[in-house]
Amino acid sequence: MIVEDKVSRRSFLKLIGSAGVVGTGLVASGCSGDQAGGKGWMPSQYENKGNYAAKVKGRIAIDEDNPSIMRDDAKCILCGQCIEVCKNTMSVYGSYNLPIKKETPCVNCGQCVLWCPSGAITERTDIDKVEAALADSDKYVIVQTAPATKVALGEEFGMEPGEIVEGKQVAALKALGFNAVLDTCFSADLTIMEEAAEVLHRVVSGKEPLPQFTSCCPGWVKFCEYYYPEMFDHLSTCKSPQQMFGAVAKTYYAKKLGLEPGKIVSVAIMPCTAKKYEAARPEMNAAGREYGQDSVRDVDIVLTTRELAQLLKKNKLDLNGLTDERYDSILGESTGAGKIFGATGGVTEAAVRTLYYYVTKQTPPETLLEWQSVRGLDGVKEATINIPGAGTLQVAVCHGLKNARTIMKRLKSKDAPWQFIEFMACPGGCIGGGGQPRSAVPPTDEVRKARMKSLYQLDKAKSGKHASYENAEIQALYENDLGKPLGERAEKLLHTQYTDRSRLLSAKKE
Amino acid sequence: MAQDKGVLIDLTKCIGCGSCTVACKLWNKVEFNEKAPMVGTGAKLNDKNWTVVERREAVTRQGEPVYRYVKQQCMHCKDPACVSACFSRALQKDENGAVVYYPDLCVGCRYCMVACPFDVPKYEWEKALPLVAKCQMCATRLAKGASPACVDVCPTGAMTFGNSDELLQTAKSIVANDNKYIKHIYGAKEIGGTNWLYISDVNFVELGFKTDMEDVSPVTYTRGLLSAVPFLAVTWGVFLTAMALYSRRRRKLEGKKGDSDDEE
Amino acid sequence: MKKTYKQLELLGWKFTLTPMRFVLTALLLGSLAVILVRMVTGYHFVTNLSDETPWGFWISFDVMVGVALAGGGYGTTLLVHTFEKEKYRVVARSALVTSLFGYLLVMAGLFLDIGQWYNFWRPFVSWGHSSVLFEVFWCISIYTTILSLEFCDILTERVAKKMHHWVIKALPVLLIIGLVFPMMHQSSLGGLFLLFKTKMYPLWWSELLPLYFLLSSFFVGSAMVCIETELARRAYGHAIEVSILKRFCRVGGRVMAAYLLLKIVDVTVKGQWGYVFANTMQSNLYLVEILLGIVLPILLVFSPAVNKRWGLLLYALLTVGGIIMNRMNCVFTAMYKSGAYFPSVWEILVSVGLIAAGCLVYCFIVENFHVIGDSRAVHRRVQKDLGSGHD
Repeated sequence: MIVEDKVSRRSFLKLIGSAGVVGTGLVASGCSGDQAGGKGWMPSQYENKGNYAAKVKGRIAIDEDNPSIMRDDAKCILCGQCIEVCKNTMSVYGSYNLPIKKETPCVNCGQCVLWCPSGAITERTDIDKVEAALADSDKYVIVQTAPATKVALGEEFGMEPGEIVEGKQVAALKALGFNAVLDTCFSADLTIMEEAAEVLHRVVSGKEPLPQFTSCCPGWVKFCEYYYPEMFDHLSTCKSPQQMFGAVAKTYYAKKLGLEPGKIVSVAIMPCTAKKYEAARPEMNAAGREYGQDSVRDVDIVLTTRELAQLLKKNKLDLNGLTDERYDSILGESTGAGKIFGATGGVTEAAVRTLYYYVTKQTPPETLLEWQSVRGLDGVKEATINIPGAGTLQVAVCHGLKNARTIMKRLKSKDAPWQFIEFMACPGGCIGGGGQPRSAVPPTDEVRKARMKSLYQLDKAKSGKHASYENAEIQALYENDLGKPLGERAEKLLHTQYTDRSRLLSAKKE
Repeated sequence: MAQDKGVLIDLTKCIGCGSCTVACKLWNKVEFNEKAPMVGTGAKLNDKNWTVVERREAVTRQGEPVYRYVKQQCMHCKDPACVSACFSRALQKDENGAVVYYPDLCVGCRYCMVACPFDVPKYEWEKALPLVAKCQMCATRLAKGASPACVDVCPTGAMTFGNSDELLQTAKSIVANDNKYIKHIYGAKEIGGTNWLYISDVNFVELGFKTDMEDVSPVTYTRGLLSAVPFLAVTWGVFLTAMALYSRRRRKLEGKKGDSDDEE
Repeated sequence: MKKTYKQLELLGWKFTLTPMRFVLTALLLGSLAVILVRMVTGYHFVTNLSDETPWGFWISFDVMVGVALAGGGYGTTLLVHTFEKEKYRVVARSALVTSLFGYLLVMAGLFLDIGQWYNFWRPFVSWGHSSVLFEVFWCISIYTTILSLEFCDILTERVAKKMHHWVIKALPVLLIIGLVFPMMHQSSLGGLFLLFKTKMYPLWWSELLPLYFLLSSFFVGSAMVCIETELARRAYGHAIEVSILKRFCRVGGRVMAAYLLLKIVDVTVKGQWGYVFANTMQSNLYLVEILLGIVLPILLVFSPAVNKRWGLLLYALLTVGGIIMNRMNCVFTAMYKSGAYFPSVWEILVSVGLIAAGCLVYCFIVENFHVIGDSRAVHRRVQKDLGSGHD
């Protein structure tokens, strides 16, 4: 039998009772309404405001598939400068009604990159593509350099803004291992040959409307496609110098050097982020189409001035220590007209020089070799010039897309006497492009002026050849391959068409 | 008691800039991780992303394919499942209606994660001593009368901060007066109502919202159970005691009758 | 004839060394290594848990299945001590030991699963009383304490013998309390899932979930007792009469039938028959769980098959399998999203290691205390062999 309890009922109940009291006491502490963790939050992140600035501003939207720019969120300080420039200088942000449709309207100009103080927004890097191409022994890698880069690349190596580093840039590119270093100024001359011919054609035949808009700025072209598709027939059908170069390089150049077009990798050094977008535009494969290989692009890779500097530094090349070298032929010669493309007003000045020749068959006068009326940083510039035998030519020049809207308004209200209008998206023209060194953040007129001055200096230094038609290599190109400006072959390789993008957004009424 | 504060998100006004996601990380001192993007296709909440803006492809009622950017964060429900689930009160609804996390009290059981109908709370799986991570609605800012950081920074005004029921009225009038909006306010009724509301011009299903929610909070069910438990426990205890006494008595009586002890 | 194994003796405590026990010890040591890594580095090396599946093998198996199976004890206690069904007393002690160590293992498993394990005590003072988990936590804590006190009945027959009569005196009260708490936490484990209504496949969510979990924990008790006693019979040659086990299992079978009936009514009222035969993964797993885990055991236990040991064992295995499946289904299948989770080998090793620990402790207890056999036999033995100790 179980051992009988020696413990009395009383003592047992006492035991249970006291245990109960103690237990209840311990546990009742949990009854209180206050949280046991105390009143304060932990950790301190909830009390102080972290890295939150006193005044924060929103930022622009950048599509994840934007080919030109990208953003490192870790560096964003919500300063709102990107919205500032995109809204007030470029009039893109805020120019469309919400909700958005299938893309964030962006002209890829890259001004936001120049204005971002912390460097959060940058170009979308293509350096690795260039490195891969250079390392591939099977490929023939050619590179073209834009005029604006020749007066700015040095700034990445400690030189003064505007210092001319044309020759050094060539040396650097050769040192990197490019098979041929060629000049966008060459194809700038080519663009002028076509564009000036086109102006003349419009004036003479009256078939296409005037004024003619320049089309070498891809940011402006996209802007026009978004907001003014009804004005397409004003846009010159000429491609930009970059793209004309690309088409010629893989046809004429390839043939001359006995190269297979598919083996050529065409790289461009540009002051511009929109050029990355332009090179990828579907219709920019004229050379490829000629060979029945639609996938071959006219220009394969675009690097900004900053990216080139990075690539050089990565390869331990200091621009300061290099000696000038010359461009390779047969796409390396350029006149002064080709050089001044990078400045606002430069395209106009170059075009009119050759237009003058087309009309009068004479060399352009001194005024056109230093046409002050189209030079300078005024947002909208107007000028006139008398061409003997043709009459007065009236031109307009604008830079900064907000000023483009001013011009378009005047056009719509018929307050537009011009036959030729140059549009540049970036303030200052290409020398102020989104891919240029960030010597001043935000960019200053001082830096822009210094760079422009150097371009005009390059023009002056070019003895005897200030107009595009004087380019011997260009003459050879037409003689041996293209035929004549606006001819059938030229149309095929050097002219393009545009896409109506107005349905991609709901533009606000002006 | 103070009013519940809320935020109304107008999805037609979001351009996907991601300012809100950066503001959230800056205010809450959370690290950036480029492998887990906060904006775009496939942007997901995780232990470092307390709010994200996901890009979704959708079709408007006119049949036009569009992108819509959908901000995701804690919905700060009116009757939160996570607050009810937390057995150590590490998640609490404060007087402004924000659902706030107290890491000190958290045991790490992750019941809140499974309970949340929107799958909001995330966990720091990579850490040795992980914490739960979710939007806190900038509770300290709310305490000072300011709006959450994300609302503060939005450049298009896609988000409006205010008293939750006033916002609901605002949402109702917007939706009623403008035909482009879907006639539904997400969060008005879902699981008993949330303090963060959405209006949109595109069907919520296409935007990845969970649309098969009932109008009552799931907490209703546990409330029912827990209110019944004490009664059931006491009843059962009484019944057992009675049964035990009865059976013992019976055995004693039987024992007196026959043999002294029980068999085997 | 039974094989005899070497016995390890230390300070009067015996432990038989069999090959199986070496295996179990190896598993235990392996899991201890993994546990160390888990405590030092967290989840990402050792588990496959993620934001999509925050609850994994340790919760579904160690905790949910563990509590259900370890809770077999309370069914026996209920029958023996409340309804004074003397015929089941023989299994009462064994059930108690299994319960106690089962619950301790559940707690160990849970401790390993929680992220801030040093905060485990928080719910004792910071009361999240709106949470079903709060109730589960408290009930399991109190119940394990009760079980430990009940175990003192066995323990104080050999250790701290002076406490023995105190314990005997307290036993009836402890037993009553020890029957209220399991009812609460077994059902509340089902109650945990009530919050998941919007996330669970309809076949596994019901307002009756607490009742389902309670009933299933009851009838699995009889199945667990069958398995334990079978293992004890094979190890120690100590057999419980088939007729006793049969009657015990048939009590469980009646509860199982009630459970099945409730489920059928529930599904009918909710109009969910379409889900049952939808031929989706979830539907098919549901059918397997019900047919193999409930219907088949019911048929078996009321057939003459259970007059034989193999029949009982088959019934037991099917029932236990059904419970494991049910708990796993509730955690995984019912809330399945794409990006499926499968436990990592380390998670499984830890769970297996914990079970191995439980087996080893059970064997130790059984060989050193008087657990197997009826209480009368135990006491006789105490009086007879004070001092000596051999099997």
